[in-house]
Amino acid sequence: MSPMTTITLPARIDSLPRGLALVVECATAAGFLPQRVMEIELAVEEALANICLYAYPESRGEVEVRCMQGETRHFSIELIDSGIPFDMLARPAPDFTVDAAQRPIGGLGIPLIRALMDNATYHREGAQNILRLTALLPL
Amino acid sequence: MELQIEDIANVRLIHIEGRIDHTTVQSFQDLLLPKLTDCTGETKKALLDLSGVSYMISGGWRVLVLAVRQCQRQQGEMVLAALSPFLQKIYPMTHFDTVFKVFATIPAALEHLSPTAASLYSGAE
Repeated sequence: MSPMTTITLPARIDSLPRGLALVVECATAAGFLPQRVMEIELAVEEALANICLYAYPESRGEVEVRCMQGETRHFSIELIDSGIPFDMLARPAPDFTVDAAQRPIGGLGIPLIRALMDNATYHREGAQNILRLTALLPL
Repeated sequence: MELQIEDIANVRLIHIEGRIDHTTVQSFQDLLLPKLTDCTGETKKALLDLSGVSYMISGGWRVLVLAVRQCQRQQGEMVLAALSPFLQKIYPMTHFDTVFKVFATIPAALEHLSPTAASLYSGAE
């Protein structure tokens, strides 16, 4: 899988529009329909926001947004930061069996990422967190 | 992101328009919650028209949960209606079906909340 495009941004919430604009551009170019592009954008926005909020608790840092397309139907977004080891996918999902009115608010971002993407993986490589979100192009 | 308010008999119909993302979610909360302070008991029920919400992050659902809880604390009622295609796709993923009452259309929600408001609304169309 080769990178189509990449951008490196300060890991701050106000960077989100620039990172997401790239994701929308690449997903559209890859051939996804507009509604699916928005779903991919939502998953990436939830993940990027988590990185901006939690990856660098004591310092400032950067996050790289990398759009990749393979020869098969795989379209992936990699979010790469050099913050503390942080696997957001390992966070326990909210307990959906508890009446939602009693459930603590929040924690919905990760379940949305999982539901919206066809695959989501995390690995730590050296000093980097690498979160890969994959969507399959329509046949 | 914009809110438009329409009071029909004892129903406050709040039309929400635009994208609710990380740059707009705080203003969504700041605009919406004060509009619900007088939604108490039978005197004023709240109906949120979500047909114009083209995109919404998890934080937007959080604001809607805060809103419905605020109304419940006031012995009021708040329902959602006319979810946009994007929200229709996302809603089942939130598992909030026990939190919100959701109606397919504005008239269907009005029928549930207030027959008087429903008849006034259909008369205005």
